[in-house]
Amino acid sequence: MAEIYQKEIDLKKYSKEELTRYYREMVKIRKFDEHLIRLMMEGKVSGFYHSGIGSESVSVGSITNILRDEDYIYYNHRGCNQKIAKGVPLSKIYGDFLGTVEGTTRGLGAGIVHSADPSRGVLGQCGTIGSQFNIAVGTAYSAKIQNTDRVTLVYFGDGAASREPLHGSLNWAGLYKLPIVYICENNGYAISSTTEETHSVREHIADWAWGYGIPNCVVDGNDVLLMRECVSEAVERAKRGEGPTFIEAKTFRHRGHFEGDTYDYVDPEVLKYWKEHKDPIKNFKKLVIENGICTENDLLNVEEQLELEILQAIKKAEEASLPSPERIYEGLFA
Amino acid sequence: MSTSVKVKTITMREAIVEALHEEMERDEKTVLFGEDVGKFGGINAITRGLYEKFGGKRVFDTPIAETTIVGAALGMAITGLRPIPELQFGDFVGIAFDEVFNKLGKWRFMHGGQMEVPVTLRLPVGIAGGAGPEHSQSPQALFMHAPGVKIAIPSTPYDAKGMLKTAIRDNNAVLFFEHKLLYAMKGEVPEEEYLIPLGKADVKKEGKDVTIIATALQVQTSLEAAEKLAKLGVEAEVVDPRTLAPLDMETILQSVRKTGRVLIVHEEPKTGGCGAEIAAQISEQALFDLQAPIKRIGSPDVPIAQSIYLEQFYRPSEDQIIEAVKELMEY
Repeated sequence: MAEIYQKEIDLKKYSKEELTRYYREMVKIRKFDEHLIRLMMEGKVSGFYHSGIGSESVSVGSITNILRDEDYIYYNHRGCNQKIAKGVPLSKIYGDFLGTVEGTTRGLGAGIVHSADPSRGVLGQCGTIGSQFNIAVGTAYSAKIQNTDRVTLVYFGDGAASREPLHGSLNWAGLYKLPIVYICENNGYAISSTTEETHSVREHIADWAWGYGIPNCVVDGNDVLLMRECVSEAVERAKRGEGPTFIEAKTFRHRGHFEGDTYDYVDPEVLKYWKEHKDPIKNFKKLVIENGICTENDLLNVEEQLELEILQAIKKAEEASLPSPERIYEGLFA
Repeated sequence: MSTSVKVKTITMREAIVEALHEEMERDEKTVLFGEDVGKFGGINAITRGLYEKFGGKRVFDTPIAETTIVGAALGMAITGLRPIPELQFGDFVGIAFDEVFNKLGKWRFMHGGQMEVPVTLRLPVGIAGGAGPEHSQSPQALFMHAPGVKIAIPSTPYDAKGMLKTAIRDNNAVLFFEHKLLYAMKGEVPEEEYLIPLGKADVKKEGKDVTIIATALQVQTSLEAAEKLAKLGVEAEVVDPRTLAPLDMETILQSVRKTGRVLIVHEEPKTGGCGAEIAAQISEQALFDLQAPIKRIGSPDVPIAQSIYLEQFYRPSEDQIIEAVKELMEY
């Protein structure tokens, strides 16, 4: 059965630069998110947005300084977190939400799903939640047959984990020893249904992987460094040709499933606990300051710089034009 | 076929096997997979010899998992391979409906046109000897409603080979429907390599009195009916669209304008079959060239019985075609 991933983190192993980068990436994601919600309030973006606030560490811990541009990801329903961590320019993501030609789809509009940046290995996402499981094994098979060491990371929530394709995918990945890492971002809820209400598992979702002979574990997804250690082991294993890994990252969402969700199905005390004690950014900030790696001022500078960067990205996306009506006839066939 | 071209007479099965061998030899990015397609050579013996020739990495048996077969094909395609998955029976496309309907045809478009999807999905279809309601269907018309996929449906060994080779080289998703009863049908195929473009209909027989538009096995049935009609003094023109998407309306309309009478024949249930769309387009574009209402012969709108005796009543027959043409000629 799935073990809880534990490791003594040696902070000295990390340079100040690297640690600052993790902070920077997490704050970038959060600020992106907060500004997007603001744009929504201003009526510029539709309400079909699934905020990733509270789980930035899952994405940063599994991508930053681990994945290369040539490694592939299929992001999940809180996927802006992963797109940003993988390096998709902010203006492009905002452009997709705003529907301007700056977007990755050049004006078709894309929100959480359908942004893509193949040059950075961001291969898209399915609107039919969880259908990326099958596509991901194809991508991993592709890397293997072309003799590259490219790794495929497939992200999904605990809700998507109940889709049948997960099992078809795990069977292939285990059978063909594919270079793929499954990252289940378990935030406890599929919209309003809890994991316990919708999954027949022994204890953890990761237990399923055990049945397919796939190494697996459960990790505290809100600890960015622990997440990083765990995923980099899995990625190295995949690169060595040793096959897939299944990682269940435990986290929680600070906001509802979508903007406008009343979120009253969650016990306010539980939410309060996660916000106060398990916020990945707050905890990481405390860690690096207490260990004398960064000063409050260092991090403040990072935040200020990011604020500027984000405002510029929004400006660029907003100033770009809307597509001409002919846009809908472009790009159906190669 | 002109006499200067060296030809051989082979079955449609052999024609498809040849196309697969030639294309896999030509491009090392091609990968072929499906249920029992490896050492066994496919339940319809279409992938014979490929495993031995190209090895287990490029030709592999998959678990019984149509969803994964088609989904994986998409993942392979957008990362540089040219996958040729097979569904053992075309009916099974229902299991992978999301992957075909929502993914193969839409992935490129919905992600801004940034990826190519060179998948050729082979799907055997048609009534073929008591296979029952979930192994005898012809679901191709479903996908005329799915922008982004091409639909090929050959009726001769010559077309099957030339079109399959084109489909494999195409950078888009092609659904390749093969009628199981045609696998054993013989026909002339050039010795030399050739390609048939997708989106080009073929006039299988010229005639001036009535246009019969038919697909797959029904092209053959229509040709036989046309011969009998000729003896009755009716010259039928038989048009095979060959691909339902893109649909070559130009060739179809040209024939309709010449004859003024249209009969559409297919093995799909009549309601919502490909004939419905073809008839609608003809009436939109050539209503006043018609001398009679457009007629359609399809399968009845009920599931296909497993009984070998009963299943024949689902397949359009020569007699039905002759009767329908006679009716058209009365206008």
